[in-house]
Amino acid sequence: MTTTTMEPAELSGHPARDGRDRPKRRALRLGHRASASLLLIVTLVVLLPVILMVINSVRTSGDIGARPIGLPHPLALGNYGDIATRMGYVRSLLNTLIIAAGSIVLVIAAGAPAAWVLARRVRRWTRAAYRLFVAGLTVPVFVVTTPLYLLMQQLGILDTYFAAILIYASFNLPFAVFFYVSFLRSSPQELEEAAALDGCGPLATFWHVVFPLLRPATATIVIFVSLAIWNDVVVPLLFLTDDNLKTVTLSVYSFVGSQGTVSSAELFPAVVLASAPLIVIFLVLQRHIIAGITAGMGKR
Amino acid sequence: MRLSRRSAWLFTLPALVLFIAFTVYPAVSGIALSFTDRRGAIGGTFVGLDNFARALSDPAVTSALRNTLVFTVVSVVVQNTLALGLASWMYRQPRIRSIARIGTLLPAMISLVAVGYVWSFIYSPLGGPLTTLLKGLGLQSLSRVWLGDPHTALLAVAATNIWMYTGYSATIYLSGYLSIPSEIFEAAQMDGAHGWGMFRTLEWPLLGPALTVAVTLSTIGALRVFELITVMTNGGPANSTQSLSYVIYNESFGKLHFGYGSSVAVILLLLTVVFALSLTTVLRRREVSL
Repeated sequence: MTTTTMEPAELSGHPARDGRDRPKRRALRLGHRASASLLLIVTLVVLLPVILMVINSVRTSGDIGARPIGLPHPLALGNYGDIATRMGYVRSLLNTLIIAAGSIVLVIAAGAPAAWVLARRVRRWTRAAYRLFVAGLTVPVFVVTTPLYLLMQQLGILDTYFAAILIYASFNLPFAVFFYVSFLRSSPQELEEAAALDGCGPLATFWHVVFPLLRPATATIVIFVSLAIWNDVVVPLLFLTDDNLKTVTLSVYSFVGSQGTVSSAELFPAVVLASAPLIVIFLVLQRHIIAGITAGMGKR
Repeated sequence: MRLSRRSAWLFTLPALVLFIAFTVYPAVSGIALSFTDRRGAIGGTFVGLDNFARALSDPAVTSALRNTLVFTVVSVVVQNTLALGLASWMYRQPRIRSIARIGTLLPAMISLVAVGYVWSFIYSPLGGPLTTLLKGLGLQSLSRVWLGDPHTALLAVAATNIWMYTGYSATIYLSGYLSIPSEIFEAAQMDGAHGWGMFRTLEWPLLGPALTVAVTLSTIGALRVFELITVMTNGGPANSTQSLSYVIYNESFGKLHFGYGSSVAVILLLLTVVFALSLTTVLRRREVSL
């Protein structure tokens, strides 16, 4: 690796404080820089498949066939226009947004007040309810799919947005409750008590004091649930078989799957269309996503 | 705030109803279904443990059980080892920590379906990037039909899973590192601790809570593997990559064997509960005793 070549020149600008230690310090610092460069290279290697996906999305199939690894020649931006229409991208985007919005509203409207009670009122039943929600974090989705299918059939809402919204809201409640409760346990109660002394009822206290306090946690939950819904294929595969209701991920799955052997010039734009919005959201809001990932590390 | 008993209930009720109706009730009725011979809309007679007896002697289920366990053990061990190394590396490089974390976490943000398709292309024997790369390095003898060979297919899918989630686990370990007061590291360095010795005596014990969370989450995730397999191998070649989730999907929604499919689902549920409980018990006890 050639990355260490620039180091000595840069280093000479920082003379060591102690003359005797200079060679040792210099070696240490050089090692540190080399290790930093290597870490950047490793990061880049991890990203190679993603880079490959993006580059290949603007290459022609013939180009990819001739040179599996290479830059676009010619640049085939036209790959996208055609695929977006054939996949019904705009429609599926709209479906995903409707389902995600509905589920998120339900998760927060049900999860936040419940978490407030579970965090603040310690009784036997609140502890039991909390444990029930947390146990829900471990249930594999296929354990509940068959009965859910029968249930949705009975309710007459198979193949409607409602089915997906109710299922997603329920599946994501454990995470929301868990996250809100750990957030509340590390937040002070004084404001809530002051509000009560001022004569606020429970509803007013929740709405004017607790819910605003929960805002950062709510933001993380919104992003986390959106990610989970956007990336899921199982629920739409089973509960949204109507073509007009497909979510983005399902439409990529059925587009690629139904084509038999799909050409590279079709596959990569489809996959990029399915991932790009999330990658952008991740890059902008990564702080919240990292907060969600490390949620389990807080107080238990 | 002193919540009255009544308002406490009212505040909790919507969440409980939503959760019980669409998660708890289906889970319980799935267990009930597993003791019946229900197929699609017909049947539903109680048959006791027949489904379970049949499942445990059904080669499709026993091989799916084995595949799921192999996939899980390989994924969890390799992913957590790599993630721990990566986190320790990122911790020691504060200036590029954030960019390395974003870069390595990014694969976990892409849907399993998209990842599965991209990696199928990477593994493809005819002009796939991996084959081309090995050829370029003069290592074509190592080349395989990765996803078409029963000896490599499951591990190839596991490698994709590891690629996807190593950054996720590393994020958890890194937050463990960042919660250790830096004075402890400085004091240890003064005492001459470094490298492996420092990791063994200091970091490994202090990372206890991160280890519990990362190992438990990666185990639960790996046990339910479905999408990568459906997209990359469709269970093949020769059923060598069928997972329990794949078999449940196939039985319940392919053949409409609701009762039988549910019994396999109960096996998966039991497996997950046993793994999750024993892991958290063992790993938490380790945290406390330190």
